[in-house]
Amino acid sequence: MAKLYAQTAPPMDMNKNTEWFLYPGVWTIYVLILLLSWLLVLSVFGCTPGMAWTLVNLFHFAVTYYFFHWKKGTPFAEDQGIYNNLTWWEQMENGKQLTRNRKFLTVVPVVLYLIASHTTDYQHPMLFLNTIAVAILEVAKFPNMHKVRIFGING
Amino acid sequence: MVRLPYLTALTTLFSYGLLFAFGQLRDFFRKIIDWFKSSSKDLKGYAPICLGLEDFYTRRLYLRIQDCFSRPIASAPDAWIDVVERYSNDNNKTLHRTSNTTKCLNLGSYNYLGFAAADEYCTPHVIDSLKKYSCSTCSVRVDGGTTDLHTELEELVARFVGKPAAITFGMGYVTNSAIIPVLIGKGGLIISDSLNHNSIVNGARGSGAAVRVFQHNNPSHLEDVLREQIAEGQPRTHRPWKKIIVIVEGIYSMEGELCQLPEIIAVCKKYKVYTYLDEAHSIGAVGKTGRGVCELLGVDPADVDIMMGTFTKSFGSCGGYIAASKEIIQYLKYTCPAYLYATSMSPPAVQQVISAIKVILGEDGSNRGAQKLARIRENSNFFRSELQKMGFEVLGDSDSPVMPIMLYNPAKIPAFSRECLRQNVAVVTVAFPATPLLLARARICISAAHSREDLIKGLEVISKVGDLAGIKYFPVEPPKHETQSHKKLE
Repeated sequence: MAKLYAQTAPPMDMNKNTEWFLYPGVWTIYVLILLLSWLLVLSVFGCTPGMAWTLVNLFHFAVTYYFFHWKKGTPFAEDQGIYNNLTWWEQMENGKQLTRNRKFLTVVPVVLYLIASHTTDYQHPMLFLNTIAVAILEVAKFPNMHKVRIFGING
Repeated sequence: MVRLPYLTALTTLFSYGLLFAFGQLRDFFRKIIDWFKSSSKDLKGYAPICLGLEDFYTRRLYLRIQDCFSRPIASAPDAWIDVVERYSNDNNKTLHRTSNTTKCLNLGSYNYLGFAAADEYCTPHVIDSLKKYSCSTCSVRVDGGTTDLHTELEELVARFVGKPAAITFGMGYVTNSAIIPVLIGKGGLIISDSLNHNSIVNGARGSGAAVRVFQHNNPSHLEDVLREQIAEGQPRTHRPWKKIIVIVEGIYSMEGELCQLPEIIAVCKKYKVYTYLDEAHSIGAVGKTGRGVCELLGVDPADVDIMMGTFTKSFGSCGGYIAASKEIIQYLKYTCPAYLYATSMSPPAVQQVISAIKVILGEDGSNRGAQKLARIRENSNFFRSELQKMGFEVLGDSDSPVMPIMLYNPAKIPAFSRECLRQNVAVVTVAFPATPLLLARARICISAAHSREDLIKGLEVISKVGDLAGIKYFPVEPPKHETQSHKKLE
């Protein structure tokens, strides 16, 4: 099979913490990691597919909420702390809202929610947990929530 | 233009995700274990040294492959170099030096013209100046630190580069970060290439001027940015900018690419902005007589307002210089903090540069300078074309002595580096955050001191290691009948 090459102009983001997201292949690997983790959960726990999707959804909620909307700053010291008050979501693409990457990241939790609730047949404890997960994630990604800290939590 | 195989992009992102996940997991367990062990009483009430997670990358990613960086050397950085062996008992968290050294082929030092080791013309002069002037002037330039060597060097540099006057400083990094704040301040605009060196970024941040970035080596994007900024003026007041400076480099050290200087100068002249050219890697290494990227691309030095360079790369010394008009240099002499408060260049280092420039210009009575320049050009073109034929992804323009070989995956960085060291070739690998996350590379610097046999040995080792590490991303060119076409050097 001939090798597929991806070619782009180098992205102009000066923030090294978020610049990697503008390279080709990120969306694909994100979806592939979710699919792989579903298979992993199925093989490790041996549960029903619906339960596995619920677990993937909840785990995805925990990880992405913590790293995108809770942790502030960057994992290296070279930028002298100019992003120390911004979460990763707020640093993305310099704070520009409603870009293609942000729209993609907003759609993924919704799609996961639909798959999880469909495969569990909308049964109770899973439906409640899935709905809370997607609601919190979606509210956090609204453009109006840029740099908003509710009740000063995580300020 | 960034070009990478799609599967490699996916696997690189996955690897970094995995490394990040493991790092976070270990941090989590470390926090739990530390919470159980009570903290010592002395540190109660003190603020933590690192805020939040800012040392995460150093602790969890860099320290794992620490043995590939900061390798101590035990000889002059000639074509062959003695690398000190190190070992670690705790999985690379701490490294201990032994007293053994291994002689390795040096493909990492910026020794473009081979002046790094003892030279038959330079070294006797340097030793004489050491005996006469001692190793330090023990003073700042403005007090008692300007010897006749320093004045001779400044005149020589100005003549070499093609500008009316020059000024020299003791350190190359400081030349950028101390000059830029003096040249431009609040109310001015600095437009710098997106891949400029950290010293320029530091100087730009310290100046207080507004900083905008244009896409790497893209004169049309520079023109767009200029038009937008000139039309808008200063932020909020919309008054016209007091001064606009465009900062570019001659050869970009992480890409090995030459700057598109003629087009950028044309754009800058059209909009009447000043230009600042950082020739750290190109002075002495490119151009027919070694005068840098202006000579190579046919740009008149009078068109570039300020030319900066360092003596570390091609001249085998240390320090930096700025060459500009007499008025600018006179202004810098009474405002630049690196001239007023920093110790002047060490006299033997000054003599080394003077002798090296004399050799390059042929004023020492031989044609060794021209030979060195021809040899480095030949070596770079040979090495680069051979690497590309083997299927490696090599960046950089032809004639440039810097050639990065793309690695991409984070695991290939230590694999390439360690295996090459085992086979006695010393290479420098560069990863995040000096380069973008996905684009880790091994950077080869060719020198005029490398002989053809050295280069062939280097190529063999790199080819073998490249097969082991799987970095031959491009198809191998089939060997065709080599009718040796000697490129006539214009």
